[in-house]
Amino acid sequence: MTADVDAPALAVERLSKRYGPVEVLRGVSFDVARGEVVGLVGANGAGKSTLIKILSGAVAASAGQVRIAGAVTNPATVRQAARAGVQTVHQEIGAGVIPGATVAENLTLDSLAPGGALWRSRRRTRAAAREIAAAAGLGADLEAVLDRPIEELPTSERQQVVIARALSARPRLLVLDEPTATLSTRESERVLASVGRMAAAGVAVLYVSHRLAEIERICERVVVLRDGVVQRDVPAPFVARALAEAMLGGTLSTLRHEIRGGGSPVLEARGVRARPDGAPFDLVVRAGEVVGITGLVGSGQTELLEQLYGARRLLGGTLSLRGRPYAPQSPADAVRAGVGLVAESRAEQIVPTWSVRRHVTLPRVRAHSRFGLMDPRLERATARRTLGDFGVVGPGADAELGDLSGGNQQKVLVGRWFDGHSTLVLLDEPFRGVDVGARADIAAHLRERAHDIGLVVASSDPAEILQVADRVVVMADGGVSGELRADQMTTEELSRLLTTPARHSRTTDARENRRAFGLETT
Amino acid sequence: MTTVQDQGLVSAPAATGTARRLGALGGLAYRYGLLAVLLGLLVVFSLARSRFHTWDNTLIILQSVSIVAVVALGVTVSMTVGGFDLSVGANVGFVVMVTAQVMVRYNLTGATAILAGLAAGLLVAAVNTLLIVVARVPDLVASLGTMFAFQGLALIITSGQSVSVGMDLGGGRVAPGRYDPDFLWFGTAKVLSIPVAVLVMIVIAAVVIVFLTYSRWGRALYAIGGNPVAARLAGIPVNRYRALAYVISGLCAACAGILLSARLGRGDVGAGDVYLLQAVAATLIGFAVLGANRPNPFGTLVGAVFLGVLINGLTMLNVPYYTQTFVQGALLVAALLLSYAVAPRSRRAS
Repeated sequence: MTADVDAPALAVERLSKRYGPVEVLRGVSFDVARGEVVGLVGANGAGKSTLIKILSGAVAASAGQVRIAGAVTNPATVRQAARAGVQTVHQEIGAGVIPGATVAENLTLDSLAPGGALWRSRRRTRAAAREIAAAAGLGADLEAVLDRPIEELPTSERQQVVIARALSARPRLLVLDEPTATLSTRESERVLASVGRMAAAGVAVLYVSHRLAEIERICERVVVLRDGVVQRDVPAPFVARALAEAMLGGTLSTLRHEIRGGGSPVLEARGVRARPDGAPFDLVVRAGEVVGITGLVGSGQTELLEQLYGARRLLGGTLSLRGRPYAPQSPADAVRAGVGLVAESRAEQIVPTWSVRRHVTLPRVRAHSRFGLMDPRLERATARRTLGDFGVVGPGADAELGDLSGGNQQKVLVGRWFDGHSTLVLLDEPFRGVDVGARADIAAHLRERAHDIGLVVASSDPAEILQVADRVVVMADGGVSGELRADQMTTEELSRLLTTPARHSRTTDARENRRAFGLETT
Repeated sequence: MTTVQDQGLVSAPAATGTARRLGALGGLAYRYGLLAVLLGLLVVFSLARSRFHTWDNTLIILQSVSIVAVVALGVTVSMTVGGFDLSVGANVGFVVMVTAQVMVRYNLTGATAILAGLAAGLLVAAVNTLLIVVARVPDLVASLGTMFAFQGLALIITSGQSVSVGMDLGGGRVAPGRYDPDFLWFGTAKVLSIPVAVLVMIVIAAVVIVFLTYSRWGRALYAIGGNPVAARLAGIPVNRYRALAYVISGLCAACAGILLSARLGRGDVGAGDVYLLQAVAATLIGFAVLGANRPNPFGTLVGAVFLGVLINGLTMLNVPYYTQTFVQGALLVAALLLSYAVAPRSRRAS
């Protein structure tokens, strides 16, 4: 391989990738020099993960090329990418470690791959591991734990082990995909420090993160990706707010619907927390209004909705539904109380080989049975009505749900909660993986059907939120950083809130809450 | 449409592995292949031995499979929730011992023995439920443990001996009781020339078919087997239904144990052991009936009858008994191939 000393460690040139009709990357170009730390940011669906997969050899690009140290390298496999000098540390730490193996064995995993020595000795493994740890600058930290199983280490140290292992291959380019996503602030510090050391040693680092504060601290340059295109490529210093604006797009589309104030409260959440480290906040959802929740990825939207649905233990505070105490211990409790959830992952809601009809009536089997036996005629009628209400044309009630397009699948999974038995419907990223037309359809139908029930729509894409919401709650760091009427939501205002640390936004103190719910007498 | 989000969406057995699109012939083989083979076997055996296609022999075949079928129906229910009850054979054996002990050792009535047998089956189910649903031990290993424990318990309650009328209890004492004739009725009597065991099998099969295929509880059980997360998110109390599945499985095994005890007229050590593999085979063969490709009670019944026909016919043809296990195994493997390799990629559920 001809390595040009002056060429940048990584040069991405007009890279494109399409999956079927969907173009995920559209001519992306940027460089990373030796010893440089470049941040890569972008909202969901901007194309970051696809770009990382191409760099690590997991998928092939449709057009364009990748140069490593000047040489054209379009890695077709992960091993080829590694040979060319690219190491990737993926978001899920589980992907990089072998549970049950010791820290030393995990550090030296690469010598187990084809080409390694036939026999292994514990002593030599330990010596090699020590060397690797020292090269990564964490020799002293790991010395004591080399013989312990990897799963006994705290997450941040496991992350360090994975990074050290990646470094042991002496890469030209290290891609870190949200290495701090699951770490606490203090744990993140250690990872950030090691990134600095790597850069000083001459490794080029592509640092992908949703945490703009980290990007500000350690990156010398940042590339902002939006809709598969490089929006910005700016050197430090940068302002988090400006980055958020670039991620979101210049202007949010203008509102196309009338703002509704909503009637009586359907859900009152007092002093709830999205994450254990998040600030407590209140959330009120009124009948007939659509409340949008937005925030950068990992701000706690999913955690909040799952708590409201009983799918996750309530971290604190109290809930009431239509004025009555509401404490769901499981989704079954929530469904019985008239609450529905459209979960973030569509695959998690689909039963393989099942028809549309069966999916529609699954939350309501009792209502569709007589003397315990399912009534297929009644089921079919409900399924047809759902399909009609949400504008699914073509496939009938007995078509297999998995055979429908992504947009139509989503319409069915959303529509099944709008059968007159719900008082509150929670939707987590309902527009993900849905084409533009279906998105507009779903948004319109949601607004139409929300007249007497409460709706909560969470999305990390503010444009999606603007399409349906009357009121927008902005989350940051597991708390609420502010609230806006949808017609007052501007890119500037939103960017400010997205990057503002959450404040304690409780309107009442705990004692008052307890009194309000009759749990404490004065 | 194939987008990034759509990847990894389908995880049914039908869609994995060597699943591929075949022509119309493959589709036919997949749906009717097993029934065609069964029909072919019936014709061949009838031509070869005139005794085969008589009413009497039909009843003999049905009686021979009745106990296996009842056990297999229970296994089928445990498999609908994605579980696997390995303890059914031990359960049958345990119930045989308990019923024999109640009548022979303690001189109680047949009705008491039946109640004790059902209670014994529920006890096995309770242990399974505790392990699998409460303690979250994986189904296979948990019910394997239960299997061992109850095989052992069956030995302990009878001091390791078979229970028979007039057996020596030590110290010169003799067991005071005997098998209640009312109890033996289940194993030996006929109603309208049909053995009672066959009638019991038909009733239990009808109940399980209606329950699994048409009731709302069956719908929930299949949802859990198809995708437990989807079932939970749709508000199905998953753990309660998984417990229910093991209770039904335990009750079916208990009924089979009562039938077996009544047929044997004594409590034989290890009497239930053969039923586990036979029941599992019947259930898995049932996957391939009418292209269901999932546990289904009608298929299970066909699977059990298939095994019975095979053994009966081969015996009539004087095929050595020691080849029968191999033939049954080959049948099971062929049925599994139909379910997993020939299955069209996308199948419609009813």
